Amino acid sequence: MRRLARWLNYLEDGLIVLILLMMIGLAVYQIVLRNVFSSSLVWVEPLLQNAVLWIGLLGAMIASRRDEHIRIDLINSWLKPSARRWLAMVVDLFTCAICAVVAWHSMLFLFDEMRQGGNAFPGVPSWMLQAMIPIGFSVISVRYLIMFFLDLLHMRPPMQEPHA
Amino acid sequence: MIWIAVLALLLLALCGAPLFAIILGAAAIGFLTMDTPLAVLHITIYQLTDSVVLMALPLFTFAGFLLSEAKTADRMMRLSQAAFGWLPGGMALVALVACAFFTALTGGSGVTIVALGALLLPALAKAGYQEKFNLGLMTSSGSLGLLLVPSVPLLVYGIIAQQMSQQLDMPTVEITDLYLAGLAPALLMIIALYLWCLWAMRKQPVPKQAFSFAELRGALWEARWELPLPVVVLGGIFSGVLVISEAAAVTALYVLVAEVLLYRDIPLRKLPQIMRESMVMVGGILLILAVALAFSDYLVFAGVPETLFAFIQTHVESKLAFLLLLNLVLLALGALLDIFAALVIMVPLILPVALGYGIDPVHLGIIFVANMQIGYITPPVGMNLFIASYRFHKPITELFRATIPFMMVLLAVLALITYVPELSLFLVR
Repeated sequence: MRRLARWLNYLEDGLIVLILLMMIGLAVYQIVLRNVFSSSLVWVEPLLQNAVLWIGLLGAMIASRRDEHIRIDLINSWLKPSARRWLAMVVDLFTCAICAVVAWHSMLFLFDEMRQGGNAFPGVPSWMLQAMIPIGFSVISVRYLIMFFLDLLHMRPPMQEPHA
Repeated sequence: MIWIAVLALLLLALCGAPLFAIILGAAAIGFLTMDTPLAVLHITIYQLTDSVVLMALPLFTFAGFLLSEAKTADRMMRLSQAAFGWLPGGMALVALVACAFFTALTGGSGVTIVALGALLLPALAKAGYQEKFNLGLMTSSGSLGLLLVPSVPLLVYGIIAQQMSQQLDMPTVEITDLYLAGLAPALLMIIALYLWCLWAMRKQPVPKQAFSFAELRGALWEARWELPLPVVVLGGIFSGVLVISEAAAVTALYVLVAEVLLYRDIPLRKLPQIMRESMVMVGGILLILAVALAFSDYLVFAGVPETLFAFIQTHVESKLAFLLLLNLVLLALGALLDIFAALVIMVPLILPVALGYGIDPVHLGIIFVANMQIGYITPPVGMNLFIASYRFHKPITELFRATIPFMMVLLAVLALITYVPELSLFLVR
């Protein structure tokens, strides 16, 4: 279980770095193609636009490892640790549930898309690119569920402020 | 029933639930009341890939992270000191200029205080400025430059406005126009703060520093790899050779090569970690942007902006009164909320209303970000006050007192920006 989580972490880290590098490389390559050789590759544009979604979701998945999401934190600083813990559990469960709802409906939509959907660009069916949405929300959902149980067992890592 | 759900969401938000979850919840409830299948959530989130400019967000953010990890702050400080240090109030101007440029490039205003504060505060003290003055100057300069190219908040505003323009009857909002419109207001803020510095020091003049041509040459030489950067960004964007996303890609590649290969400030093995950290921040922003797009779709379907406009119009008659109200609300929000959270929540609500009052969407973007910038230093909860208090080891109340004069100056400029639209729009329309 713990090893699985670690592999997932490595996978996310590796993927996000790769996609970012690919994004920079492809975009610059496209500029050179256009301005020097007056040509362009049709698949680059949609690929890059989808890469943004992937980076966003991967980043969000990584952020939920340590609960680093943007939030309004007004009440927590005035609460006692025990009350804070109960609140955190409610909040975690809520986040877990809403992400699960999105993941579920997104998956249903994806199955439809698999049966009748077209290609995003030649050779790549569009459901493959969209698949990141249910995957991302599932992972975030599971991470908040784990956070809920860690809290239940008094083992939750301290809440992180998002990087300023 | 609906009201209970809405109330529960508000309560959860105050209890520190992630904002994206709250907005998702609100959108889900909204769509359910309209009997829309929730697959719409997937579809609206996937709308993120429709935007051609969005790619600029991760790329500019990454470039900013690299610059703040490298020794760019030192070089920028040395160069502006060599260039402006000899003027009356020179060090104050150095601080203002260096902070503005650094914030424009790195976006996160907390980063400016942390990175440049450590250099500028001792330098200001050494030049003979008083401590209280220095603290106020540093804290208020920490968010200066949010209106300058390639500011990420302006980019986010533009993306939301473009998304909404598909459903609303409004003039286009090009990102380039937003950047052009931000130039004069940002310069005005710098000039106003500089003049205030000169006025504040009239009783205890600080000795001027001698101008050294050799030092300027040395500083220029040291910054040789970074100096072309503004030319690349500004030239690429404003000449029309590159679209915003391409300019961002070139910037990212350029900064990567400069900091890692030429300056060697960042060892290659640290690079993946910096990439990951920057993308985690991007992920947080993109996620709330995606769900906010879903939510704003619901709002427009449900006709909420029209209702809101009708409601506000019965109470607020003139455009001026509306702008004043807007300023007050945004200042409070800027102090309470993260800048990106405030943008994604408030722009979909305010933009249609502002259009109803005949406000140009580009002008609204400048007003919005200018308010957020001042919100950062608004007591008692502005984030920069806390960062400065933490960074400079000073009690927060001392920072309130030190910052308030500077805030007043910025508020005066804000009034000008808000009530004189031409100030922002003369380069655009």
